[in-house]
Amino acid sequence: MSSRSTALWVVVGILLLVAAVPPLLVSTYTKVDPTLWGFPFYYWFQFALVPFAAICTTAAYFVAREAYRRDREDGPQIGGRR
Amino acid sequence: MNGVAFGVFLFLFLLVTVLGFAAARWRRVSKLDNLDEWGLAGRGFGTFIAWFLIGGDIYTAYTFIAVPATLYAGSATGFFAVPYTIVIYPLVFAFLPRLWSVSHRNGYVTPADFVQGRYDSKGLGLAVAVTGIVATMPYIALQLVGMQVVLQVMGLQSSSNNWFMKDLPLFVAFVILAAYTYSSGLRAPALIAFVKDTLIYIVIIVAVIYIPHQVGGWGHIFDVVQKGFGSFNATNADAIAAKQANPKAIMPGPAGHWAYASLALGSALALFMYPHSVTGVLATRNRSVIRRNASLLPAYSFLLGLLALLGFVAIAAGVKVDNPQQSIPQLFENEFPAWFAGVAYAAIVIGALVPAAIMSIAAANLWTRNIYKAFLKPTATPAEEATMAKLVSLVVKIGALVFVLTLSKSFAINLQLLGGVWILQTFPAIVAGLYTRWFHRWALLLGWAVAMVYGTVQAYRTPSPVQKHFGGSVANFPFTHTGVYIALTAFLINVIVAVVATVVLRALKVAAGVDHTRPGDYVADLGDSGVEAQLDPLT
Repeated sequence: MSSRSTALWVVVGILLLVAAVPPLLVSTYTKVDPTLWGFPFYYWFQFALVPFAAICTTAAYFVAREAYRRDREDGPQIGGRR
Repeated sequence: MNGVAFGVFLFLFLLVTVLGFAAARWRRVSKLDNLDEWGLAGRGFGTFIAWFLIGGDIYTAYTFIAVPATLYAGSATGFFAVPYTIVIYPLVFAFLPRLWSVSHRNGYVTPADFVQGRYDSKGLGLAVAVTGIVATMPYIALQLVGMQVVLQVMGLQSSSNNWFMKDLPLFVAFVILAAYTYSSGLRAPALIAFVKDTLIYIVIIVAVIYIPHQVGGWGHIFDVVQKGFGSFNATNADAIAAKQANPKAIMPGPAGHWAYASLALGSALALFMYPHSVTGVLATRNRSVIRRNASLLPAYSFLLGLLALLGFVAIAAGVKVDNPQQSIPQLFENEFPAWFAGVAYAAIVIGALVPAAIMSIAAANLWTRNIYKAFLKPTATPAEEATMAKLVSLVVKIGALVFVLTLSKSFAINLQLLGGVWILQTFPAIVAGLYTRWFHRWALLLGWAVAMVYGTVQAYRTPSPVQKHFGGSVANFPFTHTGVYIALTAFLINVIVAVVATVVLRALKVAAGVDHTRPGDYVADLGDSGVEAQLDPLT
């Protein structure tokens, strides 16, 4: 990790937390209303979390790619030689 | 037995059999006489193939049978499969690229190889390998249970009392699977996964659109289920109060929130500790394949959620079966035209073959690398390793078959429950090791051992209304009355023991061994020295 990539890696970490934490806060979504197309909130909300998490990880992918690129520019020995 | 359904089923089964044997020639670079080729398919899979392979690997036929079955049986906790498969991918994103890099650079084939190299400890590697093998075996057995359920609904199980004759179709299917896994290695399930996932997607999409429409719409389905559960709870109020029956509900009550969240988190942490998941990941061709897949694999999670709800659809459609696991195949039998029911059966059976093949390969790799080569024959050549692994893959599968045919099914399910508890206990050694060498090898071994014992005892002591032991995966967290997934509690104990023991061992200056990996190994990518492509990416 170099000084130019630290902030980006922090962003990656935050994006991953934003994806992973909401499904674990069970008490926030165990309710029936509002329903959507006949689905109780409990069910459709968890379905909605799937694409939401996928968007977060996709964003994290692009940020991480840039951070990884900077790391390798700053320290060519990082992956290359042993 | 319906002739049309059986004809379609047989056609698709023969198709994947041909593919399984032909896979030996697919993307082939040299002979299949080493583990990189046989056990990891040349480490050359790109994003597209990896998506099918890993998806085919972790969303198994048993999942497709068991998850809707829990909802059918009135336990909304089964829907934890959805948050579970959401939480997995951020975790995958975070640590698997490092495991990929260090494994490629050092030629590691199994997670236990990594642990052994990182901590300079064959003993710790052995603990990880043995845990992986014993956790995987019942998982393979359950794939057979999934196939058996479908064959039963199709009417293919004869009424003979002889255990061999009774399950002859299952036996035949499994011998064929064993044969092409033996000859083609990981290439066979990778190629078959295309067929499996395509069929599963078609079947589920048709099922969740067509059947609810037939039954009267989702709103109606939830109403019927809600009323049905309400009247069940009213009729059995005494039994429920006496804890002789579980109340039914469409969502977990406040007492079940921690159980639900801990099942999701614990299972997500555990999934990529299973050797077969790691096998799929190590077979990818560069570092970003796995991160791209973390964005793409959730498509399966969505599918799994829809499938889970078919358990409710089966209730609303009036499916009545004694064994809840038959509810989904029976729903297909009742609602679909015969030819499409055949497609659906084939999808589930093929869905069992793919993970069963990958699991047996992963278990064989573990045996070969971390027991055979580490302890029995350190001089084994790559060719000898491949021969050994191929033989062991047969032994593993035959073992699983005998297990399912001769022992009780609930025994396999109990063991799989325990397998989830056990496999999570390898997390500290594997994942912490990817970031830091701070933990002492003997501290990790101690933490593992304590957690294995705690988890096993706790699972044994958990009763349910129908059985005295292994009645569920949730037990009260120590010193509280809050139900938490046993695997997660054991994991916390594991970490605490490992931290305390590390501090003590370091203070006593006990030898920590030589780290065989270097910091650069954890971020190496394709093209760096020691991480050559084994295959032209276009072939």
